Amino acid sequence: MVPIPRLKSVPAAMTALLGLGLAFSQPPQAHADESPRQVIESTTDAVLAVLADSSLSTEEKRKRVEDIASARFDFDTVSKLVLARNWKRLTPEQQTRFVQEFRKHLSMTYGRNVEQYNNERAEVVGERAEPDGDWTVKTRIIRPKGGEPILVDYRLRKFGNQWKVIDVIIEGTSLVANFRSQFQEVVSRDGPEKLIQLLEEKNARGEPIGQPPGTRSERLAAPRDGASS
Amino acid sequence: MFAFNDTVDTYALEPVAKAWDKVVPDRVQQSIVNLFQNVYTPLVALNNLLQGKPHAMAVDTARFLANSTFGVLGLFDIASTWGLEKHDEDFGQTLAVWGVPAGPYLVLPFLGPSSPRDAVGYGVDSLATVYWFFTDIRFTVGPQTVQVINNRAQVLDAVRELKAASVDYYAAVRNAYLQRRAAQIEDRRDAATVNDDLYRVEE
Repeated sequence: MVPIPRLKSVPAAMTALLGLGLAFSQPPQAHADESPRQVIESTTDAVLAVLADSSLSTEEKRKRVEDIASARFDFDTVSKLVLARNWKRLTPEQQTRFVQEFRKHLSMTYGRNVEQYNNERAEVVGERAEPDGDWTVKTRIIRPKGGEPILVDYRLRKFGNQWKVIDVIIEGTSLVANFRSQFQEVVSRDGPEKLIQLLEEKNARGEPIGQPPGTRSERLAAPRDGASS
Repeated sequence: MFAFNDTVDTYALEPVAKAWDKVVPDRVQQSIVNLFQNVYTPLVALNNLLQGKPHAMAVDTARFLANSTFGVLGLFDIASTWGLEKHDEDFGQTLAVWGVPAGPYLVLPFLGPSSPRDAVGYGVDSLATVYWFFTDIRFTVGPQTVQVINNRAQVLDAVRELKAASVDYYAAVRNAYLQRRAAQIEDRRDAATVNDDLYRVEE
């Protein structure tokens, strides 16, 4: 609290990132007409099953959690939100590349957390409708290892008959807002092409150890159903 | 200054915290966190009073009494299990509640992200705590060092992850700090209800 609040306050919110891998899962088929709450609940259950499955290797778990994150976000919308006004500064070709790289970046972020899984549990603690038609589902990650539960809110938007996640808010800190501020900085300083390059480099460096070069990138780069509706 | 802090962290604080994390069991680390939080609870209570939240102040006082006795000098946060909710207050937040503007974003040497308002708040809090609980400098350095290392050990994974997940680490930290402080001042740990244009897609 007091002596190093500045140092601690920033990562404290981000500590919750560790728990993020918990929250998304891809049921074999995302069910149409699931309520936002059901979307979060069913995915949470499925991810916990993956994480608790001792027959899966870390790499298999990581892949599954990545797929889950990938399927539950609407990356087109998230990309437009994080770039805000800068979205229109990108050529259509750059927009496509950006969505692809950003999607990869986020999925890998979730996948990495598999290794840090410590028997956390997640539970839905509330929900609310937003004025613009979005829906917020409030969850809590309970850490048996000790420490306070982490509050994670998901903002969902309806596309067709499916609710998709468009933001994750950890202890009051919105990922969309955080990425927007980072991307604004890079784009205004070095232009949109540099931002895409940075993401590409970051994603390439993020290759997990022991993974044959190339295969993972190709797999991740392959378009998936459910990302754009 | 940001680069300076990051260097200090990378070459001094983080390695020490990693070693600490290896040696000190999780339960002990958590007890140290609890111990220091208990020590600062009177300050939290005072800030709640200054912010016109007498109920929160009463809860803090009860927490302090419960944890200092039944919680073995604060090693165990028994009050939370009794439903006495913890509050997160400091003088920087009190100044914000009083209407003092934050001023520009600042990165302080060793202390990290801040603002003129929070820097003043930090100074006031430090004076208050140090003189209440420890009188001699020899008794302040040891505990403070333990606290800094132990706190850093709590966020080893988080900081590594934030670095890995950001394309502009400076901007990521700045934004996380600003959002976090806004949430703390409003006493919320969840999504803000007003989000301006954050969720509007510009076509």
